[in-house]
Amino acid sequence: MSEEASPTPQTSTPAPPINAVTKDTPPVVLVLGMAGSGKSSFVQALTSHLHKKRNFPYVINLDPAVRKVIFPANIDIRDTVDYKKVMKDYELGPNGAIMTCLNLCCTRLQEMLGLVSARSSQFPVCLVDAPGQIEAFTWSASGSIITDSFASMFPTVIAYVVDSARSTNPTTFMSNMLYACSILYRMKLPFFLVLNKSDIVDPAFLQKWMQDYEQLGASIEDAREAYINNLTHSLSLVLDEFYASIPTVKVSARTGEGMDDVMATIEKCKAEYFEKYQPAYNELLKERLAKDVKAAGDKLNDINITENPNPEAEADSE
Amino acid sequence: MRYAQLVIGPAGSGKSTYCAGIQKHGAATGRSIHVVNLDPAAEAFKYDCDFDVRDLISVDDLAEDDDDTLSTMGPNGSLVFCMEYIANNMESLEEALDTGEDDYYVFDCPGQIELYSHMTVMRTVVDKIRSWNFNVCAVFILDSQFMIDVDKFMAGALTALSTLMVLECSAICVLSKMDLLHGADKERVEHILESEFGQLLNENPPTAFSKAYRNLSEKIAGVMDSYSMVNFVPLNLEDEDSVTDVLLQIDMSIQYGDDLEVKDKFPEDVDNEDDYGGWE
Repeated sequence: MSEEASPTPQTSTPAPPINAVTKDTPPVVLVLGMAGSGKSSFVQALTSHLHKKRNFPYVINLDPAVRKVIFPANIDIRDTVDYKKVMKDYELGPNGAIMTCLNLCCTRLQEMLGLVSARSSQFPVCLVDAPGQIEAFTWSASGSIITDSFASMFPTVIAYVVDSARSTNPTTFMSNMLYACSILYRMKLPFFLVLNKSDIVDPAFLQKWMQDYEQLGASIEDAREAYINNLTHSLSLVLDEFYASIPTVKVSARTGEGMDDVMATIEKCKAEYFEKYQPAYNELLKERLAKDVKAAGDKLNDINITENPNPEAEADSE
Repeated sequence: MRYAQLVIGPAGSGKSTYCAGIQKHGAATGRSIHVVNLDPAAEAFKYDCDFDVRDLISVDDLAEDDDDTLSTMGPNGSLVFCMEYIANNMESLEEALDTGEDDYYVFDCPGQIELYSHMTVMRTVVDKIRSWNFNVCAVFILDSQFMIDVDKFMAGALTALSTLMVLECSAICVLSKMDLLHGADKERVEHILESEFGQLLNENPPTAFSKAYRNLSEKIAGVMDSYSMVNFVPLNLEDEDSVTDVLLQIDMSIQYGDDLEVKDKFPEDVDNEDDYGGWE
């Protein structure tokens, strides 16, 4: 990272070349979604599917608060930060603790990326399981740093996992899709929807809603009595465009259904990365990264974390 | 009629700071503004609470519970459990709010989007508050430092809409921490705040992303230009005028002031016409 950037504690590893991504570089898939959507189960199912084909993915767990990681993780953020200890030592609530863990992870990010990069000829895809609190990732400086850093070194795509069973409620579905759309505009990376839990409920109804927004609009109006139906109608039009722009895949993490489709979609999105994202990236990336690194550093300074935040914690969690 | 602001938004956007700032402003201008904490996972905050939901239940309580299912819940599970508990035990909140007419309350709410989008729990809480004769306005707070270009602004509006569409009440979006914006970022944000989104889309040179998503961006811009609920209002808590502006917008939204009776410092009810006779 550039020296003038920030008070963020830095290792001495040099900055990565700005976007040295080639078509041979394997894709990184950032798996995002609401709590309970089945992100980790999805990562586990996809990993298992690839293992069966002897095509081993590189898997990273970025959820500091998870009790048990259910997939074989090559890198686990919990080896670098101890969530409970952070909460206790800095007197933070769960939100603050997760954000701080991510900020701390960012101070070691170059190392992490170095590890992944060193192995990049050996895996077909790198899967990253994001924290369960989605806004800790999507509305934080550290989330942006992590995303942008990956995107500067690998063709990076976002997989947004949706709980199909909960989405039978049209209001929930619409709210969730608006949120997904907001992530698209924040991260500006290739994006696809994973309609999970298709073993419980066939997401065909969702795909139908997506194709015919009037049906969705009508379902919402049925489900509610009075509302600004104008707004709902306008939002349906927005979402109609959204669905037309992004691929969706039906899966069941439990039965393993849909994983081949997921891999095919990842390849498609990887191609999109080169067409749509790489050209702009070099320009924006430098500026964005510097700002985000400063912001994350400021946040750490706010709670008085210095260069060696908690040497005992590092030793303990070894 | 009583009045309530529901302060919502992602973690770290400045909700609790806002509540404290509004309360302080109220004190300075002679308005009594009560604050209630509805976030069972809140950390320390700087306002005086009329009611703190953590006295009823908190995520810390769960962590210390003897029952293993409760104490081992992760941050999401324990928050959901607490909120459901609160939604089913609103009587103590109702009692705490039972202070009088024309009361003005600010509710500091939890940030997690799932509580609004995937669960009915927050909607239940809001509906209950409305049933207690409150005019309610949702105040959606976003950190201005994350909204420094047009695409990010649209992302912010979409995040706000995903929550607000569920609550079905009037709403204002607030851009917090404006005092932390400087230089080019500040100018860009101010320019965005003054412009129509339809026009903003045409101003910057097209990028591969903007071209690919042109239709979608135009539809989003259409919503932002047509619906005042996603008109962002800038807020600098260090600037009294800024706070006054934001409060004014919200007050208009909940029609605070329409029914206000003139109050003076005398204990007698000024509605009684006879009393005026003795006061020159």
